[in-house]
Amino acid sequence: MAERIRAWGVVGTVPRVAAAGLVGFALLYIVVIAEPPPEIGGNWRTTSSGSAIDDWQSFAITLLNGLTFAGWLFIVASGFSLIFGLMRVVNMAHGSFYLLGGYIAYEIQQSMTGQGFSLQSSEVTTWEWVYPALVACSVVGVVGLIVQQVFLRWNMGQELRQALITIAISVIIADQIIGHFPRHVPEGTVKFGGNAVGMAWPGWANIRIELPLTGIDYSLARLIVLFLGVMVGVLLWLWLHRTRTGMVIRAGVDDRQMTSALGVSIQSVFAIAFVVGSALAAFGGVVGASQGNVASGQDGQWLLYSLVVVIIGGMGSLLGAAAGSLLYGLVFSFAASYLPTTGNECCTNYAIVFTFVLLALVLAFRPQGLFGRIG
Amino acid sequence: MSRLDAKTTVERVIGVVLLLVAALGPQLFNDYWLDVILTQALLLGIAAASLIFLSAYGGMVSLAQTALMGIAGYMLGNMVTQSGPGGESKGLVLGWDPTLALVLAIVITSVIGLIFGALASRSFGIYFLMLTLTYAVIANLFFGSVTQFGGFSPIAGVNEYTPSFVGDIATDRDRLYYIALAVSAVVYVLIRYMTRTPFGIAFAGIRDEPVRMASLGYAVPLHRMLAFGFAAFIASLAGILYVWWNGQIAPQDMGLGPTIDLLIIAVIGGLGRIEGAWIGAFAFIVINNYVVNWVPTGGLPVVGGRFNTIIGLVFLTIVIVSPDGLTGLWDRIWDRARRRGGPPQVEVETREAAMGTSSS
Amino acid sequence: MRVRRWKLVLPLGVVAIAATALVSTSLAAPEAREVRVAIMTDCKGAFGANYENDIGGAQAAFAQYAGGKPKSKQKPSAGMTGIKVGGTSVKIVGYGCGDDTAPTAIKETRRLMEGLKADVMVGPLSGDEAVAIANYAKGKPTKTFIIGTAASQDPTMQIAPKNVFRYHGDGAQWNAGLGEIVYKRLGWRNAAIIMDDYSFAWTSAAGIIADFCGIGGKITKRVFPPLNTTDYASYVQQLPKPDQIDGYFWVVGGTGTGVSLKAMEQANGKIDPKQLAGNLFLIDGAAGKEVAPLYPGAYVGGFGSAPGLKTAQVKRYEAVMKKWYPTQAKAAASGFVYNYYNAAWALVLGLQKSAGVVGAKLQASMPRTLASGYQVSNKGLVKLDSRRQAIQDQFQLQIGKGGVPSIVGFVPNVDQTFGGVFGPNKPAPGRAFPPCTKRKLPWQGKIRVVKNGVVTNQVIK
Repeated sequence: MAERIRAWGVVGTVPRVAAAGLVGFALLYIVVIAEPPPEIGGNWRTTSSGSAIDDWQSFAITLLNGLTFAGWLFIVASGFSLIFGLMRVVNMAHGSFYLLGGYIAYEIQQSMTGQGFSLQSSEVTTWEWVYPALVACSVVGVVGLIVQQVFLRWNMGQELRQALITIAISVIIADQIIGHFPRHVPEGTVKFGGNAVGMAWPGWANIRIELPLTGIDYSLARLIVLFLGVMVGVLLWLWLHRTRTGMVIRAGVDDRQMTSALGVSIQSVFAIAFVVGSALAAFGGVVGASQGNVASGQDGQWLLYSLVVVIIGGMGSLLGAAAGSLLYGLVFSFAASYLPTTGNECCTNYAIVFTFVLLALVLAFRPQGLFGRIG
Repeated sequence: MSRLDAKTTVERVIGVVLLLVAALGPQLFNDYWLDVILTQALLLGIAAASLIFLSAYGGMVSLAQTALMGIAGYMLGNMVTQSGPGGESKGLVLGWDPTLALVLAIVITSVIGLIFGALASRSFGIYFLMLTLTYAVIANLFFGSVTQFGGFSPIAGVNEYTPSFVGDIATDRDRLYYIALAVSAVVYVLIRYMTRTPFGIAFAGIRDEPVRMASLGYAVPLHRMLAFGFAAFIASLAGILYVWWNGQIAPQDMGLGPTIDLLIIAVIGGLGRIEGAWIGAFAFIVINNYVVNWVPTGGLPVVGGRFNTIIGLVFLTIVIVSPDGLTGLWDRIWDRARRRGGPPQVEVETREAAMGTSSS
Repeated sequence: MRVRRWKLVLPLGVVAIAATALVSTSLAAPEAREVRVAIMTDCKGAFGANYENDIGGAQAAFAQYAGGKPKSKQKPSAGMTGIKVGGTSVKIVGYGCGDDTAPTAIKETRRLMEGLKADVMVGPLSGDEAVAIANYAKGKPTKTFIIGTAASQDPTMQIAPKNVFRYHGDGAQWNAGLGEIVYKRLGWRNAAIIMDDYSFAWTSAAGIIADFCGIGGKITKRVFPPLNTTDYASYVQQLPKPDQIDGYFWVVGGTGTGVSLKAMEQANGKIDPKQLAGNLFLIDGAAGKEVAPLYPGAYVGGFGSAPGLKTAQVKRYEAVMKKWYPTQAKAAASGFVYNYYNAAWALVLGLQKSAGVVGAKLQASMPRTLASGYQVSNKGLVKLDSRRQAIQDQFQLQIGKGGVPSIVGFVPNVDQTFGGVFGPNKPAPGRAFPPCTKRKLPWQGKIRVVKNGVVTNQVIK
């Protein structure tokens, strides 16, 4: 029996080598092995744009797509991770908060601009983007506060019960969104719950700029998403490491009982963290609505993204959320672009498999995630 | 005489009566009730039983059971359907022998369950829940996007190809009902038996004291992996019954909605007792079928929204008021009666483990 | 045993009462001789907004041809009474509420056909739903299904049960002629296509590809984003750059139409409408209202109807709609209203001929031709082929100022097989099917110019 424990407790050399080989091959494939596609058909080496050596611009754009998507992921997932890290609450309603934020911001932008449904960026000023975002974050922050105070405060520590409660809340919020949003619909169409609606970036952001040295034109809006992600990360870091509240939060993460025994009001810290976490979900929704749109059903998608990111990165760690977002964003982007195109039947549709592979690789070696702590 | 015995007796009597009613199902109920309510309740009950088995005896609340059901359905669908005129167009359309396909579908799903279980075997409590939810969503997206296995559209006509010992269940729905009933009974007995074997006892021990069990020499991750594989096997049976019942399988059958529905079923029934699976499934489906009819199309009065708001509120109430569901409520009623009645304080099976009082 | 008696009796009593209640409800079934009809549509999901339109279309036909009285002229789903065909009364037993997915469609179909005991279904609304229901129909030969407005090919091609009828075109038929129009009008020779990776988009794209390649165009790249992708950047990046290609066929729907075009513009700058063509996703519903105004001049595929066509038959149809449901009449040219209307009308004609008998007799009596509104050729009659699928005129559109589409091309008598490209023994449309090959389609070179809603004799060059 003892040997068996060892065999299970410590991962042996063989899987390590296999995993390293797999990752190495994937990198090698992208950088050298892949070839540009022929006129018809193709084989295991042919991809849409060929390897990084064949077409380094496509490679650079794919990289940028991955990084910018990672920024977006981070905005949403950092809030999820913050709440989990401090309170051990898996907020299953995080995706619903994302959606709620997106819809609220949409409605406000519509009533501010009065331009109607097919709103163009050129008609939107900076304030007409920032104000809706601020309101959406505040409103959803308050919703989060209510949820925490009414449903989660009195059953601290009952993790599963809290997860079930947030599931119930997510079911209700998702249905209420269908019941009440969107309110601004184009003339001549039926007002219908949960329809897809999009926001517009302010005019100056929705352009393409030439990146220095490369000659690549890239969307400024996408770079802004990345910038916003980094800003959220930096601000959270400063908050957690340079302010008193942040120190209390970190102390609470380490030892909840001890912190409250020292006379710190841990409950108010919980409340603040929940407000911030929910507001981040809403902010992610605003970014999502501007980049694409919000529609009922996306709540589940964003719950999944948040889960994957924090499982990879490690629960409750800011650095983990960043690492998880980065890895997932890059895998997402490269899998879609660099899978072989052997004719039309294969293989870009296998992109989703790589999400699972990423998860499996991380969990096989670090069940607690890259930056998570055990227990 | 302890009152616990009285409770057991009552439960047995109810059980026998229900079994009798169930056995006479086709005589007592109309086609719609039999097919849509009862058969569905039986097969979802099986899936919920696999979830409750893991949670009650292993403290592992798995959200992957619906996905495993779907995987079994997809395996069967891809293997049995035939191409050509009158056949099907989605998926691999291999046209294999239905008996072989049936066995393979169950085996493959169980193996996938073991792999999932191996990866999750060192995650506990809420981490386990999150990880299994991730499995569920990935499985859903996988079958939704990999067009070779069917893609976003359903693989239909699966129940036209059944092994000869199963017979024509596409039109003879009473037959399917009895099969579901028999499988339910077997699964119930199997799980009850499983929990009494040395493996089952060790598994329950791991739930309560993983560290102590490990130091006693038990391979904790291995036990949890095997239990997950066993639960995947049960879920695969439910999955097979589901495609036979539904005729088709689509990615949406294993989406977030059905995944949460199964959890709701298990929670309504009670995460502490296997019987709760079928009770919860029956209650959920009846609510699902009849409440939807009196929700106005314009939405609910005052709050707006539709049917799901009601389901959400019911679920929320149950989790807040009686987190151990209907069976937990039943147990507590007896518990209270016993306390009122007098001294003998016999320990009732602990439900806390299932609700994870604190596992951090 | 010191068991208190009531503790045993109470649960047993509850069980007994419950059982009796169930049995008594289950045995009490109303049995007067009447035809029971269910209307299956979507009230949730991507097409949920068309719930009233679908019901309105179907019920307008019941009101006009079978004496039905709407309970509310504004809200068709309020119900309809007094429908009578010959001496038989027809009862609408319920409205199905789908969400554009097959599982829900089957669940609702069971509720309507088994729970509410409908004999006939008018519906469903979308492609995957129709595939699921056609398979369900195989096991219920006595029930009759008249598809409301669904675009998948399989229900009347590969599956084709004898009790399933469709009086409108499938998604490929709707796009017949579009490829030829952009080939001739805009001089496209090489084009790329981006489509959702599922059956409706494949079918829709199949019509475009067969037509464009048939006249001699080349599809140089096919890109398949999964339905409702969050970030389309990686997929639009796989498309050739605008200067390497004549144009793009855009077949991305669901919630993705606007998002994918946003991603395209972020990657390549503003798209010239002359380089963009697509299927009805670009103009239909709320998503279309968002997108269409941005691309005036782009050609798009139709919906089997002809918004703005001026013929006597169209006037009659629109007058009927206006008489019974003025609100829904505004969308009369939408396939949602129009196709449901035709389905219900065909049912009335079938019931007249079968003298109110349902089952096999009704199926034998269903009309083989129908004088439906927007049909022009064949003396204004839509014909059914041997697999009970409509052979129907198609009208292709161009987006005008403000996003309002107008008809520009008339494609006569489009059949489901495209003159042999598709067939019951061929694969259903998919990622690679049909391949891009030059071939003679029945309507090639016969597409006529439509000017101000009037079909001219001039052929599109």
